[in-house]
Amino acid sequence: MISRLQRRMLAPLALGAVAVLGLTGCGTATTAQSTELTDEDVTLTLSWWGADARGQKTSEAIKLFEKAHPNITVEAQNSDWGGYWDRLATTTAAGDMPDVMQFDEQFLASYANRGTLLDLAEFTDILDPSYMDKKILAGGAVNDTQYAIPISGAPSAVLINTALFEQYGVSLPDLTTWTWDDYSETAQALTEASDGAVHGISPVGVDSFTLNVFARQHGEQLFDEDGDIVIPVETVADYWQTELDQIESGAAPSAEQLSESAGVPLDQYDIVTGKTAMQFIPAGVFTAHQSAAPNAKFILADWPTDSDTEEGFQYMKPTMYWSAAATSAHPAEAAALIDFLTTDPEVGTLFGTDRGISVNPDIQEVIKPTLTGADKIAFDYITNAAETVGAAAPITPNGASDINAVISRYNQEVQFKSSTPTEAAEAMIAEIQNSIDAAK
Amino acid sequence: MTETRAITTPGRRVEPHAGIPSGSSPKGSSLRSAVVSTLKHAGLILLALVMIYPLLWMVVSSIRPNSEIFTTPGLFSDSFDFSHYTTGWNALAAPFSTYLLNSGLIVLGSVIGNLISCSLAAYAFARLNFKLKTLAFVAMLVTIMLPIHVLIVPQYVLFAQLGWVNTYLPLIVPKFLATDAFFIFLMVQFIRGIPRELDEAARIDGASHFRIYSQIMLPLMVPALATTAIFTFIWTWNDFFSQLIFVTKPDLYTVPVALRSFIDSQSQSDFGALFAMSIVSLVPIFLVFLFGQRFLLRGIATTGGK
Amino acid sequence: MSALGELRTITHKRGPESAASKRARTKDNKVAAFFLAPWLLGLLGITIGPMLISLYLAFTNYNLLQAPKFTGLANIQRMLGDERLAHSLQATFTYVIVSVPLQLGTALALAVLLDRGLRALPLYRSVFYLPSLLGSSVAVAVLWRLVFGGEGLVNAFLAVFGIEGAAWISSPDTALSTLILLHMWTFGAPMVIFLAGLRQIPREYYEASSTDGATKWRQFRSITLPLLSPIIFFNLVLGLIGSFQTFTQAFIVSNGSGGPADSTLFFSLYLYQEGFSSFRMGYASALAWLLLIIIGIFTSLNFWASKYWVFYDD
Repeated sequence: MISRLQRRMLAPLALGAVAVLGLTGCGTATTAQSTELTDEDVTLTLSWWGADARGQKTSEAIKLFEKAHPNITVEAQNSDWGGYWDRLATTTAAGDMPDVMQFDEQFLASYANRGTLLDLAEFTDILDPSYMDKKILAGGAVNDTQYAIPISGAPSAVLINTALFEQYGVSLPDLTTWTWDDYSETAQALTEASDGAVHGISPVGVDSFTLNVFARQHGEQLFDEDGDIVIPVETVADYWQTELDQIESGAAPSAEQLSESAGVPLDQYDIVTGKTAMQFIPAGVFTAHQSAAPNAKFILADWPTDSDTEEGFQYMKPTMYWSAAATSAHPAEAAALIDFLTTDPEVGTLFGTDRGISVNPDIQEVIKPTLTGADKIAFDYITNAAETVGAAAPITPNGASDINAVISRYNQEVQFKSSTPTEAAEAMIAEIQNSIDAAK
Repeated sequence: MTETRAITTPGRRVEPHAGIPSGSSPKGSSLRSAVVSTLKHAGLILLALVMIYPLLWMVVSSIRPNSEIFTTPGLFSDSFDFSHYTTGWNALAAPFSTYLLNSGLIVLGSVIGNLISCSLAAYAFARLNFKLKTLAFVAMLVTIMLPIHVLIVPQYVLFAQLGWVNTYLPLIVPKFLATDAFFIFLMVQFIRGIPRELDEAARIDGASHFRIYSQIMLPLMVPALATTAIFTFIWTWNDFFSQLIFVTKPDLYTVPVALRSFIDSQSQSDFGALFAMSIVSLVPIFLVFLFGQRFLLRGIATTGGK
Repeated sequence: MSALGELRTITHKRGPESAASKRARTKDNKVAAFFLAPWLLGLLGITIGPMLISLYLAFTNYNLLQAPKFTGLANIQRMLGDERLAHSLQATFTYVIVSVPLQLGTALALAVLLDRGLRALPLYRSVFYLPSLLGSSVAVAVLWRLVFGGEGLVNAFLAVFGIEGAAWISSPDTALSTLILLHMWTFGAPMVIFLAGLRQIPREYYEASSTDGATKWRQFRSITLPLLSPIIFFNLVLGLIGSFQTFTQAFIVSNGSGGPADSTLFFSLYLYQEGFSSFRMGYASALAWLLLIIIGIFTSLNFWASKYWVFYDD
């Protein structure tokens, strides 16, 4: 009896074996893909991360798209940032990737190099990004293949809460010519004027974007075209030494305070809660900071420089991308959806600056008159900066998608003095290169 | 602590004046027990305050402006604003009631599933002798020793092959198949606390095992069943990861997944609405516990009397 | 082996068998198949498959996005030189060894106190259980920072007495202790199980010993503890398994980083980072099986030790 029962129960186990096959089968698109749109009924899935405001705007945009393409139905999926990537990894592993996805620079090469994303250049009839500045478009290419369409882009900038400087009677230097010394001294002056109630700066960020801009100020870069980490140890050590000096002088909060706010959501950043007055941010998220901190008066400024710093150290980093799945059964329709979301003027007005300032000049024209307040400041800053930025930076390579976490971890070792900047820099570069090699 | 002493000391002073001529020993002990009881209450109230402070803070945060939430650990606020509740309720793609209902559905299925399947298995482990029993028991324990994060991908593949993704089946069916071995073990321990004479007597009278299980064991196991029901309710209600992975259609989202939609780590989040809806979603589980504990505490002593 | 022996006694009846059970014994296989059918189906259909796959993946290089590549013992080799693994083992063991006894002790004490004999007990019980309801709520993370942060409530309280508090959650030296406190704070779950267990103890035992003049403490030691021991044992086994796997609280409090400086990098958190953030699911699977072995050893020890202090009525 038992053995008969057991035998019957083995049937589901066979499904387990199928599951193994499922793991191995992923990533290889087997369906014959058409580069032409069909008239048949098609259902696409569209996946993005973000809060509810973005969700509502995206739903409206989907309605517009469905009206323009009556045979296509779009199913939306959204979640928070962390959940988004967990879910995407899981569904991709099972060969069940959404058709169209919002993407981030950190993860782009990791997915693209492993054959999970669609080469969008095959669909130029449907999706033609020729409107875009080549310097930005290149940020969506991996090994010269266009796997992603940048939605928006922005340089790194210094976010300054002028309200705090006014409150404590500290004046800002000329922000167009300021040096690193000016920057640190101004910060220190604010800390002293406020008797430590606020600190001048949240120090150089712990993200790869900031580190890369810092490297470019020194004529170097974080990664090269081959996807290897090429930043010299001294530059990273210098980056962290600057931070240590700022902590030491009181320009920046203590190591404990910094670690307390490491990795928190934007609403709880020190700069948003008014505990610090200056911070490096991607200029595209200016509006988010301002609306999260209604009492602050934020402005944007370019990075401080040294006398020997060369022009063009800034670059337009794509804030977000649209990508499509290599396994999509309807790649042409997926491309059409991406095209619609990035070029339709109505969608452009609808989205506004929610996914950053669009890199499409036509959309910029459309939204420009509608912008006010923080949006207008960000728009003007980014469109002006676009004229002077340097070449695109190679994107985060396959194997280094966790780079921000790695930088942050070593940064804390330096902050808590368990490693010297040089030791930590050596170890960090070795660890990242190891991960990159393992993924090659 | 000082406060309770202030209350009880006058009581002691009053005693001689009461002048009731009775044996001092019972009087003294009743007074002592009153003091002890007051002290107990004082301690418990203090502890209770520490325990619920976070919840009180959440309630207050849900009615104060977003900008105050991260700067004020206290409970006082100048301005109160109940709009988080109305905006939160309607902020997402569907009204929040949809997510409450979705979660309720999954919880209901999970509770029923766990109660039936785990009690059946527990009866076998606690009261029956069968081949490979030790091995089966070890296997049961081992299944709860692997973290979900390495199982989720194969599980997803399995459920995708079955066509169950974007339904609640991956969340409910496993409960009917006793995959929450935690509860089997719990019930085994409880059944072993039930005197064997009760079912042996029935056995001698010729009752079948199923009869013993359903007529004798289940009523005696009410506290264990209530524990299982309450825990299943709460864990399922709060479970984020598997609900996130297996259900991707927004109109099927559950409460924990919906709550995350208020947060965007790179942009502005609506924490006020998040807290408001968190409070709303706590109400059902709090009520379940408040009323469920009656069953939880219906031990042998009380059921035996009926 | 002795742990297995104890397992056998837990699953098999101890002491001389009665005639009835001897008679019934021959028939039990068939009946057991019926009672165990759902569980067996779940084990074979849902649980075993993914477990075996994860075991296979432990010997592969698997990045989730491409087919796994068999690499033999490479993952185990990697473990030997993995500093973060050593870190996470240290944090996890400290956490388990400190927080499990603390939480169970608190839970047991409160359960005995809240069992009966006081007014407003249902309310107390509910209030003490509330923190366990909050679960993985994001609010916990926000609040924990406000309570234990450098300018948090605890330090404000200490300042009243002129003590300058530490930066509890953000210093690598103290961050782990705040998580242990957070764990203690959710003692409601084991407390509920203890409460249910206490109700299984017949009142007559206490009444009899009261007439004999036994003190409360003696009653607790000679009646409550032995009769509750199967439930204490259960809470201990599950407490250990749960604490070794602890994930959610550390994840939300440290925003997934295990920081500051890896001081709260619990094993499951590290495993999650490796699997999902760094796309090394093969290595994560190997870590998971290492965890299973560790938990397995502790659980076996527990079962082995239980024969000295756990008493069953049957």
